[in-house]
Amino acid sequence: MSWFTRLKNALYSAPLDDALDEEIRDHLERRAEAFRAQGMSAEDAERRARQAFGNAARIREQSRDIRLSAALDSTLQDLRYAWRGMWRSPGFTLTALLSLGLAIGANTAIYAIVDAAMLRPLPLPETERLFTLAAPSLDLTDNRGETDSFSYPLYLDLRTAAGSAARLALFSRISRVEAQIGDRTAPVERLLQQYVSGEAFETLRVAPHLGRLFSSDEDAGPGIARVAVISFDYWHRRFDGDPGVLDREIGFGSGAYRIIGIAPAGFSGVEPGKFVDVWVPVMTFDPGVFSNPASSLFHIVGRLGEGTSRDQLQARLQPAFHRGQEEMIGRATGIPPAILKQFGERGIRVRGGAVGLSEFRRTFGRPLWIVLGVAATILLIACANVASLLLGRSAARATEMAVRTSLGAGRSRLVRQLLTESTLLSLMAGCLGWLSARVMAPVLVALLWKRTDPVRFDLAMDTRVLVFCAAVCTVSALLFGLLPAWQCASASPMATLRAGRRSDKLRITRYFVAIQVAFAFCLVVAGAAFLFTLLTLFRVDTGLSEGRVAVLTMRSDLGITQDALLRTLQLQRRVAALPNVQGAAVAWTSMFEGSRRMERVQVAGQSPLEREEIFYRVSPGFFATLEIPLLGGRDLDVRDTDVAQPIGTVVNRAFAQMYFGGQSALGKQFRRTDGTRHQIVGIVANAHYTDLRSGPEPVAYWPMKPPRLFTMYVRSTVDQASVVGMVEQETRRSEPGIQLTDATTLDALIGTTTVRETLLATIGGAFASLGLVLAAIGLFGVLNYSVVQRTRELGIRAALGAGRATLVSLVMRDLLGIVAGGLTAGVIGSLAVMRLIRSQLFGLGAAEPAVMAVAAVVFLCATTIAALVPAARAAAIDPIVAVRRE
Amino acid sequence: MKTRASAPKSAQTALDLLVLTVLNRRGRLHGYAIASAIQELSAEALKVEEGSLYPALHRMEEAGWIAAESVVTENRRRARVYRMTRSGKQQLAAETERWNVLANGVARVLRHA
Repeated sequence: MSWFTRLKNALYSAPLDDALDEEIRDHLERRAEAFRAQGMSAEDAERRARQAFGNAARIREQSRDIRLSAALDSTLQDLRYAWRGMWRSPGFTLTALLSLGLAIGANTAIYAIVDAAMLRPLPLPETERLFTLAAPSLDLTDNRGETDSFSYPLYLDLRTAAGSAARLALFSRISRVEAQIGDRTAPVERLLQQYVSGEAFETLRVAPHLGRLFSSDEDAGPGIARVAVISFDYWHRRFDGDPGVLDREIGFGSGAYRIIGIAPAGFSGVEPGKFVDVWVPVMTFDPGVFSNPASSLFHIVGRLGEGTSRDQLQARLQPAFHRGQEEMIGRATGIPPAILKQFGERGIRVRGGAVGLSEFRRTFGRPLWIVLGVAATILLIACANVASLLLGRSAARATEMAVRTSLGAGRSRLVRQLLTESTLLSLMAGCLGWLSARVMAPVLVALLWKRTDPVRFDLAMDTRVLVFCAAVCTVSALLFGLLPAWQCASASPMATLRAGRRSDKLRITRYFVAIQVAFAFCLVVAGAAFLFTLLTLFRVDTGLSEGRVAVLTMRSDLGITQDALLRTLQLQRRVAALPNVQGAAVAWTSMFEGSRRMERVQVAGQSPLEREEIFYRVSPGFFATLEIPLLGGRDLDVRDTDVAQPIGTVVNRAFAQMYFGGQSALGKQFRRTDGTRHQIVGIVANAHYTDLRSGPEPVAYWPMKPPRLFTMYVRSTVDQASVVGMVEQETRRSEPGIQLTDATTLDALIGTTTVRETLLATIGGAFASLGLVLAAIGLFGVLNYSVVQRTRELGIRAALGAGRATLVSLVMRDLLGIVAGGLTAGVIGSLAVMRLIRSQLFGLGAAEPAVMAVAAVVFLCATTIAALVPAARAAAIDPIVAVRRE
Repeated sequence: MKTRASAPKSAQTALDLLVLTVLNRRGRLHGYAIASAIQELSAEALKVEEGSLYPALHRMEEAGWIAAESVVTENRRRARVYRMTRSGKQQLAAETERWNVLANGVARVLRHA
């Protein structure tokens, strides 16, 4: 009886019982027939037959017990045997467990993040009815993109248009704020905060844990309800779950908010990857946005009403959306015709909202899938590796198996034994993988972490992840277990015993090793490409000298008068004069932090270009501090202010080139869309602003206005901590209205712009090495085995006068065949891989063949190392010993 | 390769021995035929419940001594038919040997007591 039938019997015994019943019935009928033949009445015959049979129910029980205990018995026996077998070859077991365990762990860890970020529905009721709104992007650089940001007036129009078909709620971008609990003297803490419309919580169907959440009252009018809801997580972290927190004040931005409620446990907002600490009503937002259809600052999340589909809602919203677009077009001037056309053709899209909104998804979605693909490839390699090792081992055991088969052991029994071995292996590897995933997942998240945009995931290793891990284990057990088992089942014991060896088994092992080589080559190419990308980015000349520059975030309570600006600039000059400080400058939000102000530029006598440029407010001394060379004209100085037009502005060479071509841009004027005039007073060299990937972007540097929050760049000869200490001391002494709230270095900030590339290079590189090692182990295994198999043949050749070189070349010819086949497949595969990952690469272009060549060289080195021992073994064969051994 | 770890009880052994012998002599048989044959051969000396034959058959099937298959008989009835396997033959030889040793031993004791 096969193990499958046994298992089926054990788990599902109804058919077994039926068969038993039928057997008993058959017996009773036949016996009754015999009695009738002796002349008994039908009734008597049946009664006597039952008497002779005994207690049918008890017999049925006994029979069942026998079947089930036999099933359990033999399974236990198989397990014991498999366990002993594993420890008989610890080298094999360790290699298999480690490679499979790591591969399963990596897959599980990455899946846990993919799941948390992209797949898991929000912890809300009826998430299938949730939706988000999106529209084609108007970003000039990205025509295929999509935006999910809308203006407040448009939100009101859409909400009216939706009527009873759906509820719409508004969510601002999540921002980091410096908050204080209680009054202004309390310590500053950094929180994630979000503005929401009054019905946001009702729309999501979130009920308060304590107190109350917002209602439509909070939408009554600008600035009326200064109340806040805090998250359960923050409540526990900061207040230790104290219910007395209600009615306390939390202050940030321009004022204080009264805490009125606590959101339920597990709810952290609608953006996976970000845990909101505090929500406040959107009505406390800067009132300017409520009437401005151009400030698209809000996301819209809604819930469909009963009986409404997403398509129906989309049709309902489209007219209102279109009206909004037309109003925008009517209002604005100087919009290029291409954009006007785009505006007219835009359609609103209603997207499923079960998994919420996510900036993170947009940035990291593709890299994460790539990383998961890399991990899956490693798993395939590991499976092929274990399969080839198993095949090699079962080839070594072929004689044992053949003997057992001829002695009467059922072939199915041997197959079952092999499958039990692979299942046990994959189970143990699965446990190892599960443990390593728990360690790896947080490490991976740390790789994604950016200071300016912290991500956090609920990496609960829950049932979903466990199911995934188990599925991976099962698939891998089938992958590496079935073929050796099938080999064993189809083997003819006669042939095996007669031939004394199994060449077909070795051939299949070769295929497996070639597969490993192919996959590993793809991984090495991808890993090399990612590393190359990261190195290229590191070598990019930013145009500024970023070493030893502290980037300090400062908060000003001086107000927004010109006097406040003068005092801020005075502080900047004092800091610049400190010992060991080479230069200091203040500016708007720091470069490389992801925020930027874009403006359209119009030059008199020219038709406007279809693009927007970066405008960055800086103080005098900025170029000197960052060592951006001044190419002509002068730096900004105290004469240049935001108030008097034309505003004195310094532009970079790319800007001058873009708008003034060959002529000198110095002294020229241009306007912004709102009519403000600028005059170019200086030209500086190009410097990166957004990140390392973007080439020389045109930038206009213009004067500061009185800031609430600003950045101070300080170049010094001392370390970061001393700079922070000195600036803090100086600020406290000379300008107590200004506080230092955060400090980092320009180097670190630039580093955060390469998070994606670092992730891909780290994982890609690590897994490429792992794949390489596994493939080398596979090669070593098959070569070593083939040398053992051919000892006699090689010995005879040696006896007949073959030199060592000949023997080695015989073994090497074997290897070359495998590697050549694998590499050919690998090169084709890696060309496809490069197409898939191209969007994540940088500066590769013509270097692609070089990357391939590097990968090939790395591969050949690994192959040579793998071949060394078997080759030496072949060379050292003593003909006398080899021939006598038989 | 399948041998039960514990020594079989003697009643079980006797029944096993009978079943194996019957199957060995008469080839493929269904349960009722085996039961009838045992009664017939032992001249009804062994009065066991007919039903207790079935657990024994199933145990021997699990042990691999006999094999079973479903067939449709001449009068269109489905029946389970048992036949001897190679390891059943070995088992029969071993059991017969043991039985003879035991029976001889018992006979000698009875003669000389």
